[in-house]
Amino acid sequence: MAEEKQMTEQESLQLITEMINKAKGHYQESGTGPILWGTVVGIAGLVSFAEHYWHFSIGFDIWWIVFLAFIPQIVISVREGKQKKTVAYQEAYLNTIWLVFGISIFMLTFYFNVIPGASERLMAGDNQQVWIKNTATGELKQSRPFILSAQSLLLLLYAMPTLATGIAQRFKPMVIAGIVCYGMFILSCFLSSTWDLLLNGVAGILNWLIPGLILRARYLKGKSC
Amino acid sequence: MFTELDPILHSQLRLAVMSLLISVKEAEFTFIKEKTNATAGNLSVQVQKLREAGYIEVTKQFKDNYPQTTCKVTPKGVEAFENYVRALQQYLQVGGNGK
Repeated sequence: MAEEKQMTEQESLQLITEMINKAKGHYQESGTGPILWGTVVGIAGLVSFAEHYWHFSIGFDIWWIVFLAFIPQIVISVREGKQKKTVAYQEAYLNTIWLVFGISIFMLTFYFNVIPGASERLMAGDNQQVWIKNTATGELKQSRPFILSAQSLLLLLYAMPTLATGIAQRFKPMVIAGIVCYGMFILSCFLSSTWDLLLNGVAGILNWLIPGLILRARYLKGKSC
Repeated sequence: MFTELDPILHSQLRLAVMSLLISVKEAEFTFIKEKTNATAGNLSVQVQKLREAGYIEVTKQFKDNYPQTTCKVTPKGVEAFENYVRALQQYLQVGGNGK
């Protein structure tokens, strides 16, 4: 491209349009991140549902794999960051949304773990305790305070960044998954926590694994062209 | 009365660089070179002119032991680009009406 060439106004406008389209067409999501998170949340949800439903234990809390997944995610982010030659505005905004989502999940997990103990102490300060009564036998059993339908809150949180990403990128699989996830949140409010675990697993597969596989296929197709 | 077209932007390669940078948050020099099909030498000169005008920010760093130059449009650059497009529209509207 020669610098000296004098352009007409029409040519200038054409050049601007051409370059903007070239920059826009460059960004392509590899799908690796969504596949990773869809897989771990899907497995964790389905395995914990199976443990509760069929009354067995695998010997450790399967949800730890979600925290362990941060390690490969950091490796993926660093590797993809090195390969990137541009940072698109939309990509930067969406990365921020997902970062905030990650922080929110962490905070919610903190809430799940802290609230029962903190509530117990606060109630003890007011000389109160939680007791559960079996209405059939009349038996009274002391209980720790607990959060009702805690897994529903996770579903609510999963839906937000998924739907926002789907709408921003005009990516139908994520739009549909986000809406379905809100539906699953409402459904989970009426179900026992065992079924909420199943919905969590399904949400992981619908929200991230399936869209991730679609993105991956598109990415590989684009690379081979 | 017509607004004069910004001479810094009214050059094929500089306008191409600005149009690319306006669409992204930041871009590597190699990306700009690839998309504009310009030679490294010519592109360096034009990038320098845009930097001197305050339209873009140029960051030089090392990535995996290789030098990496990243360019980013500044708020002044965005304003200049918007003014340029507005001026172009004025010219084109008059040209279109005259036909």
